[in-house]
Amino acid sequence: MKVSCLQENLAKGLSIIGRAVSPRSTLPVLGNVLLATDAGRLKLSATNLEIGINCWIGAKVEDEGAITVPARTFIDLVNALPPERVDMELIVRTQTLNLRAGRSEANIKGIDAQEFPIVPVPEGEGGIPVEPDVLRTAISQVTFAAATDESRPILTGVLAKFEDAQLTLAAADGFRLSVRTVSLPQSVSDPFNIIIPARALVELGRISGEQKEPIVIIITPTRNQVLFQLTDVVLVSQLIDGNFPDYRQIIPRDYTTHTVVDTAAFLKACKTALIFARDAAHITRLHIKPGTELAPGSMLVSATSAETGDDVSELDASIEGDEIEIAFNVKYLIDVLSVVGTPQVALDTTTPSSPGVIRPVGDLNFTHVIMPMHLGR
Amino acid sequence: MSIRVLPEEVASQIAAGEVVERPSSVVKELVENAIDAGAHDVRVETRAGGKRSIRVTDDGCGVPAAEVELAFHRHSTSKLTTADDLARITTLGFRGEALASIAAVSRVTFVTRAVDEPVGTLLRLEGGRVITRQESGRPPGTAVTVEDLFFNVPARRKFLRSERTERRHIDGWLTRYALAYPALRFTLAHDGRVVFQSPGNDRLRDVLIAVYGLEVGAAVLEIVPDDQQPVSGIRVTGFVSPPSLHRANRGYITLFVNGRWVQDVRLTYAVIQAYHTLLPSGRYPLAVVMVRLPPEEVDVNVHPAKAEVRFRDSDAVFRAVQKAVRRTLLERSPVPIAARPLAAWPAPSAQWRERRERLTGLKPRPAGEQLRLRGERPDVEAPGRVFTPPAGKLPPLRVVGQLGATYIVAEGPEGMYLIDQHAAHERVLFERLLAEREQAEVASQALLEPVPVELTPEAASLLEEHLDVLGSLGFRVEPFGGMTMLVRALPAIVAETDPARVLEDVAAALSAGNVPLADTVEEAVARQVCKRAAVKAGQILAQEEMEKLVRALEQCASPRTCPHGRPTMIHLSVEQLAREFGR
Repeated sequence: MKVSCLQENLAKGLSIIGRAVSPRSTLPVLGNVLLATDAGRLKLSATNLEIGINCWIGAKVEDEGAITVPARTFIDLVNALPPERVDMELIVRTQTLNLRAGRSEANIKGIDAQEFPIVPVPEGEGGIPVEPDVLRTAISQVTFAAATDESRPILTGVLAKFEDAQLTLAAADGFRLSVRTVSLPQSVSDPFNIIIPARALVELGRISGEQKEPIVIIITPTRNQVLFQLTDVVLVSQLIDGNFPDYRQIIPRDYTTHTVVDTAAFLKACKTALIFARDAAHITRLHIKPGTELAPGSMLVSATSAETGDDVSELDASIEGDEIEIAFNVKYLIDVLSVVGTPQVALDTTTPSSPGVIRPVGDLNFTHVIMPMHLGR
Repeated sequence: MSIRVLPEEVASQIAAGEVVERPSSVVKELVENAIDAGAHDVRVETRAGGKRSIRVTDDGCGVPAAEVELAFHRHSTSKLTTADDLARITTLGFRGEALASIAAVSRVTFVTRAVDEPVGTLLRLEGGRVITRQESGRPPGTAVTVEDLFFNVPARRKFLRSERTERRHIDGWLTRYALAYPALRFTLAHDGRVVFQSPGNDRLRDVLIAVYGLEVGAAVLEIVPDDQQPVSGIRVTGFVSPPSLHRANRGYITLFVNGRWVQDVRLTYAVIQAYHTLLPSGRYPLAVVMVRLPPEEVDVNVHPAKAEVRFRDSDAVFRAVQKAVRRTLLERSPVPIAARPLAAWPAPSAQWRERRERLTGLKPRPAGEQLRLRGERPDVEAPGRVFTPPAGKLPPLRVVGQLGATYIVAEGPEGMYLIDQHAAHERVLFERLLAEREQAEVASQALLEPVPVELTPEAASLLEEHLDVLGSLGFRVEPFGGMTMLVRALPAIVAETDPARVLEDVAAALSAGNVPLADTVEEAVARQVCKRAAVKAGQILAQEEMEKLVRALEQCASPRTCPHGRPTMIHLSVEQLAREFGR
C-alpha cells in the first residue's frame, strides 16, 4: 500500500472514527484503526463490535493495500504533524506503516488487516432518509433518558418506531421517559420497531454535526444491524433484541395542575438547587402556587442538605389548576430542561406521588415523564 | 425382591455409621462421656492416627460393676430418663448410642471402677459381642481402648484418609473441648508423643496460648461482659482477636453453645459482622465464643454428630453475639503496636511520665481538678492516681509534628503514636457524616413502572411482615400474590440498583437481624469521604490542623481504623523505645 493525503483530512477522519475504537479489549486488533485503499480513496475504520464507523477521505493511491495500526499512537502522531501532505507506505514484510510528512518520518508497527472485523457498508439502494438537524435534536432529547446500567439491557437502548411518515424515538431508565416524534420525508411501507443502543445514537449525533444531506437509515436484511449513511461516513450498530415496554401507557392522560414557566429561569433555579441537593439524594422540591386576581402564580424551587444548608428560588409561572408541592431528582430536571429547546416549558402534575409531564410549549412532538421523589422519616 | 427385617448386626452397623464416621468421632464421643462423668483429667492416646488404636482415660465417676454391660446396649444412658429431659439437656451426650455404636464396629476394652466400689471391671467386646469379663484393678474412672476401628466394615475402612488427616481431625476435636472446658486438663498423645496439653487451671487464655501459641494467646481480647443482666438469659463469653490480628479464612472462629462445639453459619457471620470496617477485606477474625443460654432455649437433638443446634430465638442469639464482640472491640482493642507485637500493652513507668510532664509541661488533668489553688505546685501529682485512657477512646495526644507530609507524630501518656493523616481524617468524617445521615429524612424515588419482583417464600413472608419497616426506609412495596412483590418506589440511595437485588438484600438483612441498607449507607458515606473530603497523604498540615484532627479522632467511637479497615495509627510504647535504644 502506498497512499498520500492531506494531514487535515486524515486528522478529521480519525476524529470521526476514533470513538468507536475499543481502548481496552482482549482482542488487540480492536484497539487499532484500519487503513485501506478503496476506489481511489482511503477508507478508515474502527469498531468495538457493538458499533463500527467507516470514513472515506480523499487520497492519491499509488499502490492498493490495507493495514491496521494502534489507534492511540496513530491519532496522536497525525495530530502532531504539520498541515501538509502525508505520505504513507506499508512495508509488507514487517507489517510496518512508514509515514512521512514535511521533514518528519515515523514507522508504526501494525497488525495484518485480515484480522480486522468486517465493518459492513450499505449495499444497493433503499433506506429511509431523515433530515440531519431534526434527527440530531431528537437524539439529544431522548438518549439521556436511557439506562446506563446493564441490569435491564433493553433500557440501555432507544426504541425507534417507524410508522407511516413518522419516526418515534423513546427511551426510559425506570424513573423517566423521553418520547420524541420526527416526521419522515416519505412514508415507510410496513411499520416496524427496532431498539438501537443509546451509545450508538449519541455517537451518530456527534459525527453528524456538519452533515447537510439527509441521513439514510438502513436496516440489514437479517434485522440485527442498523446502518446510518452520511456523506463519506457510515456508522453501523448492533441492535438490541427484545420487547421495549409500552411507553404510551406510562404517559398520564390528564392532569390537575398545568404550569408554564420560562425554561432558562427554571433551569437556572435547578442548577442552584443542585448545589445543596447533591448531598441529599438530589431531591428538589417544587411548590407551585396558582396566582390570584392580585398576584401572578409562582413556582418555588428549593433544596435542603443536612450538611450544607438550603436554598429557594422563586419563578413567575402561569398556572391553571390546584396548588401542589412535588419533589423531583434535580439531575433529571436539569437533563430535560437543557434539551427542551423552546423558551417556555409546561409541567403537568396531578399528585405528589404521580408522574410529572414536561413538554415544550408550542412543540407537540416531545414529551418527557419524570417520577417524583418522596421525603419521609 | 422380598422385604426382610435386617439382622440386628447389620442394623447396628448402619446405626453406628451415623455416629462413628472416623477415628475422630470415637475420640469425640469418648471425651464427651469423660466430661459428662465429671472427669478432671482426660487423656487421649492414639496409634496410627487412631486407625490402630485409641485410648481415652479419665478420672471421672466410673461405671458400677452391675451396669457395665448395660452401658453397651443401644439407647441406654444415665443422662436422661424421660422424654421431658430432652427439652433440658445439660450433658453433652444423651442418646445412649455412642458406646454401642463404637462397640459395633471395633474391638473395645473397657476398664472402669466406680468411685464407691473397691474393685473395677474389665470388659472386652468384639463387633458388639462380649468376649471377656473379669474383675480388674485400677484407680476410679474409666479407660476405654478402641482397636481396629471398622475391622468388620471394610467399606468404611476403605474411606479413611491418611494418618495425618485423621490425626488432624482428632487434634481439632480435642482442642475444641480444651477450649470449652478450661477447668479440665486434656492431654493428647500420638504414637507415644504428647502433642498437646491444656493446663486445666480454669483460665481460657492459658488454653488459647496452648492452642494458638503465646503471641496470639496474649493478643486476644476477652469479651466484655454485658453490664445489664440480659432478659433473654443469653450470656456471651470468650476471646476475640483485636483488629490487628486476622486470618485468611473463617476456620479460626470457634463457637460453643452450652459447652458444645457447633457449626453455625449465622453465628459465625455475627462474629464477622462485628468486625465490619475494622478488618481489611477478605480477612477474618480469630475468635473463641461461648454462648450460654437456658437449655430449653436450644435444641441440640438435630444432628447425628450434634454439630448443629437450633435456637428458639435465633435472632436474639445472633444479636447477643454480635453486640458482645462489637462492644469488646470498641472498648478493648488496642492501637496496633509497631514492629514485633509485644505480649501486652504495659502501663508506662512512673519515671517516664514524670520526665515527660516535666519536659513538656503537659499533664493529664482530670475534670475535677480545675479548681486547683494557684499556690499549689502543679507538677506534683496526687499520690496513687494513675491515668487511664477512657474505654474505647484514645488517650489525649500531643502533636509533635508531621512526618513526610503523610503521618502525624504524636505523644501520649504511653509513648509515641504515628497517625496516618488520611486514614484518620477518613474515620473522623465517616463518623460525622454517618451521624448526619441518621438525622436526615429518607428520600424515596418512585418508579416509572411498578416492577414485579419474585422472591423466595421466606423472603416474601419476611418482607410482608415488615412492610412498615420498608416504608420507613423509602420503599413502596405491595404484595402481588404468591411470592411476588410489586415495587413502586425505592430509597433514593439504591434507586440505580436492580430492585430485585435490593429486596433480596433487605430480606437477608432482616433475617440476620440487621438494619436493612445500613451497609449501603455506610458504603456510600465511605465513598463520599474518600472521594472528596479527606486530606491526602503528601499534604502539608499546619500545627492547628493536626491538633484539630487528633482532637476529632479522640472523639470517634472507633478511632483505630479507617472505614476500610486499615489502621489509623501505630503505637510505639515507652518500653519499646527504651529497649530499641538499649537503655
